[in-house]
Amino acid sequence: MKISNIQQVTMANNLKLLVLLCVLFFVKHTSFAQGEGLFKSKCSSCHQIHKNGTGPMLNGARQRWVDAGEGELIIKWVQNNAALRASGASKRAAAVFKEYGGSQMTVFSDLTDDQVNQILDYADAQPKEDPSKAGTNVGSQDPNATQTNEDGGLGIMWIILAVLFIIVILSVGGVRRQLKVASTGDESYNQLTYWDEFKTIAWKYRGITGIVGLVLTITILVVVFKSLYSINVMQNYQPSQPIAFPHETHAGINGIDCKYCHNSVTKSKHAGLPTVNVCMNCHKQINGEGKPFAGEVKKIYAAAGWDPSFGPAGGYRNTKGKPLVWNKVHVLPDHVYFNHSQHVVVGGIDCKQCHGDMKQMKETAKVLPIEELNKVEGNIKLSKATLTMGWCIECHGAKEVTIGDGKNAYYDEIHSRLKKNKTLYKQYLANDGKLTANELGGWECAKCHY
Amino acid sequence: MKKSFFRIVGAIVVSVFVLSACTSNADSPGLEYAPDMYRSPAVEAYVDYGEVRGRIDESKKTRLTAMTPPPFAIPYIGKDSVEVRLMMPYARLANESFKASHGMYQDVLTKEDHYAAASADGNMIVLNDKNAEPILSKGKELFTAMCQHCHGEKGDGNGPMVTSGAYSGVPNYADRTSLSDGQMFYSIYYGKGMMGAHRSLLNKKEIWTVIHYIRSLQSPDYGKFDANGTAVVADTTKQK
Repeated sequence: MKISNIQQVTMANNLKLLVLLCVLFFVKHTSFAQGEGLFKSKCSSCHQIHKNGTGPMLNGARQRWVDAGEGELIIKWVQNNAALRASGASKRAAAVFKEYGGSQMTVFSDLTDDQVNQILDYADAQPKEDPSKAGTNVGSQDPNATQTNEDGGLGIMWIILAVLFIIVILSVGGVRRQLKVASTGDESYNQLTYWDEFKTIAWKYRGITGIVGLVLTITILVVVFKSLYSINVMQNYQPSQPIAFPHETHAGINGIDCKYCHNSVTKSKHAGLPTVNVCMNCHKQINGEGKPFAGEVKKIYAAAGWDPSFGPAGGYRNTKGKPLVWNKVHVLPDHVYFNHSQHVVVGGIDCKQCHGDMKQMKETAKVLPIEELNKVEGNIKLSKATLTMGWCIECHGAKEVTIGDGKNAYYDEIHSRLKKNKTLYKQYLANDGKLTANELGGWECAKCHY
Repeated sequence: MKKSFFRIVGAIVVSVFVLSACTSNADSPGLEYAPDMYRSPAVEAYVDYGEVRGRIDESKKTRLTAMTPPPFAIPYIGKDSVEVRLMMPYARLANESFKASHGMYQDVLTKEDHYAAASADGNMIVLNDKNAEPILSKGKELFTAMCQHCHGEKGDGNGPMVTSGAYSGVPNYADRTSLSDGQMFYSIYYGKGMMGAHRSLLNKKEIWTVIHYIRSLQSPDYGKFDANGTAVVADTTKQK
């Protein structure tokens, strides 16, 4: 193919244009990437793009300064806000400082004018997300969804069926009697009560009646004994709590350690409920706007005295808030002493050994039945019902204890004595090859009862 | 005839009552025969004392749970003077603006910039070649429980809270190497920016321990000592 001169010229021009476009695009792109990088490393810990936080949102920040008639001063503000405020040259600077309760912005004297512009370009170019579409991955289930109690509905159905059955039996009996009176003409049948008639029939078929009676008596006895045993064993007690708290979202999706909220577990007898300021550490930012759990977050705000409309980014009002009243689930009798910190710190037992895998638990916690706990990976497999003495004893006989690591003075003392008494140590190891809690006194009555 | 009818109706009524007792209501603790064992005279945390042995006392009903200790409370530490010195009240005060932003109403507040002044504070736990290893492993334990979900396992600001999209704006420790130990302490103790105060979760000794661990995330040689017992990385605790 032969190319004419004119064609060559236009092609060259086209090429030039293409190169220019490429360069332009590249420049714009790198400036964007730089703006993003700078935003993430310098600004994002205080500023969000579309939401006021510690500092105001950056989307439209330049426009707000332009509106105040000080468009060029925003660069100076970012680079050294303290100097700008001190110079008194900017009214906008003083206003922003006051609006955010006098909290100081960090001085960024290392940022050049271009870099500040890049950051602001990046912030202005970010499209606002639609809150109704955003964040479907977090807490998508509705904690307010009411659970229909199918058991209750079925129970009523059974009662209705039983009543109908009795009515049918009685009617059939009545018809049968009338037929008998009509066929034999013997009026004495009408004098008989149902009970008399039952007695005659029962006597007639006394073999069957005896067997049925025996079976019934045994069944009733078994049912009565079983229900008596269930008194004070409150396995299904799971009271509703002031806030429908999903453990699955907090410990599972968001990977928060159990000890963050239940932080007294390492120091005290009780695992402890988080104080509302712990909730607020995250929920100051996570307000659930437009999501199904917004109502639950509002309860935290009420408890903390936080008002999302107070100040530019929400703030604490000068009130104590309305304290939450959580309902205690498990109460041990007062003659049993159980200490969380002893088990977690010294014993090194994972929470899931007794509480199951909370990362998958939708509702608030309770100790699970033993069959459920045995399914959890890494748990010591036990057989006795949870929260019974047998359960404790069984685990004390199976759990290996590391001693002499300075975590507990009592075990350190045992360690020093065992070092001198090798025969006793071998005796301990003889049964199962490990040092279990019971061999170190874990089965002494006074360990838990005093 | 009539008598038997009543008998049958009676049986039905009784069976309805018995059956209704079998429904599982998760809100009800069920029947208990020794309530005094559950609400004993010795007061236990979180237990509602509004009802003891059938007597209802409105004044003792639980109205609040999970509260922070009263302000200015100093916990009992023990008799070890080093430990006690660590736990003494923190001299730096929170800024007045923390009232609205961090809810510090019960604190003594200041108009001065105590955050800037905190840069003069050194870490009160001084590392040496003997204690470095246990302190850093304890620090790691605390960091995993208290910080990791936001700041990330490596301190890069990409914890599970951030990667799940629930939370944003967590800085990378690598960008904060110029931050002094004292300012780190101040930020953990009173909170900074979006981060809330963590003094109800960590005591002062634990905060200093965590700071050591954070330093070791910033530079992998932190807390390592050569044969002479001098630190490989200069100890920032004696910076100023």
